[in-house]
Amino acid sequence: MKRLTLVILAICAVIMLAAAVDLPDWADPASPASTHLSPDFLEQGYGETATPNIVTVVLADYRSYDTMFEAVVVFAAALIVLVVLRHTPRKRRKMLQHRPVREGRDTVLRGAAQLIIPVMQIFALYVVGHGHYSPGGGFQGGVIFGASFILLALCYNLKFTIERFREQAVLVCVAGGVLLYAGVGAVCLAMGWNFLGYAGLAGILGVGEVMARSHGILAVEVGVGITVFSVMMSLYYDLASGGDLDEGL
Amino acid sequence: MLNAVVIILMISGFLLFFATTVGLLRFPDFYTRVHAAGKGDTLSTALLLAGLIIYYLQDFSGEALLTAVKLSLIVFFVFLASPTATHAIIDAGYEAKVPYWTKRKPSGEAEPYDGAERRREDRQI
Repeated sequence: MKRLTLVILAICAVIMLAAAVDLPDWADPASPASTHLSPDFLEQGYGETATPNIVTVVLADYRSYDTMFEAVVVFAAALIVLVVLRHTPRKRRKMLQHRPVREGRDTVLRGAAQLIIPVMQIFALYVVGHGHYSPGGGFQGGVIFGASFILLALCYNLKFTIERFREQAVLVCVAGGVLLYAGVGAVCLAMGWNFLGYAGLAGILGVGEVMARSHGILAVEVGVGITVFSVMMSLYYDLASGGDLDEGL
Repeated sequence: MLNAVVIILMISGFLLFFATTVGLLRFPDFYTRVHAAGKGDTLSTALLLAGLIIYYLQDFSGEALLTAVKLSLIVFFVFLASPTATHAIIDAGYEAKVPYWTKRKPSGEAEPYDGAERRREDRQI
């Protein structure tokens, strides 16, 4: 079985290397991407979407399919960790865990966490919302938001965090973010445009087609953010407790 | 005049960073190394950024004020997070019974350091 995998991998590698020969050189100014695509994006991006940050435009509008399936990959990672860890035998899990008795020695950490976490969460929302104008967007904001909850779990403990944000709610968020993303695309489809053609939202939102694309970008960024932050929490819950969700770290 | 203040702040910040690096590399055990990193890093960051804030505010404008506020926010959060992180790392090392450096020559076999025992002694004092 292993040998078969190796053979398949070798064949794939040969095919990819053969294909790579025909690719343009690194940073070749005469490559098709540099002569047609990039100038088009740079010149027409703002006029078509009213969004100054061209990276966001490419990520969430011109290549929206790509970003949607990136979110699906993150979603799949969370599911796979769930599936793998939920069925580990108990004996092996116990070895992973060193649980010192804390006896109220976390005062400093908890005080610092109380000061930092609210600021982190506001900043995360800012990063998501300001992705149109500055570096940022759903992935980055979602990671900061998820990190704030992981900080909470580190400074208090896992139980404390799970009581406040149950695993069921986290999993609903994991699926809900991807659903929001795909839902925006489906609404566009229902309005007679292409899947994820945000101009189709113009009639619903009551704005012009250009502004509708801007709002569509925001909607899918929020979806990505929800997925990323809840996947981070889900991964932390499972990995920190070895899939038990009782105690740990 | 203000430039002199900026230069003094920056140079002292750089010196402290240098001392931090030397301490991090040269101190004998885990605890002293983290101690050097935690203290020197925080103060030197604060000094460097304070120098930058004064430098920016020399020709006063709304934009410069915004930059200064952002820099002071960085100072605030580094001041909050860095010592806390150092504290957490030291605590984890203590809990994991990382051996500490001592000037006394261990007589014969070096006794393994027992974090729990040690803590009980601390409590009684």
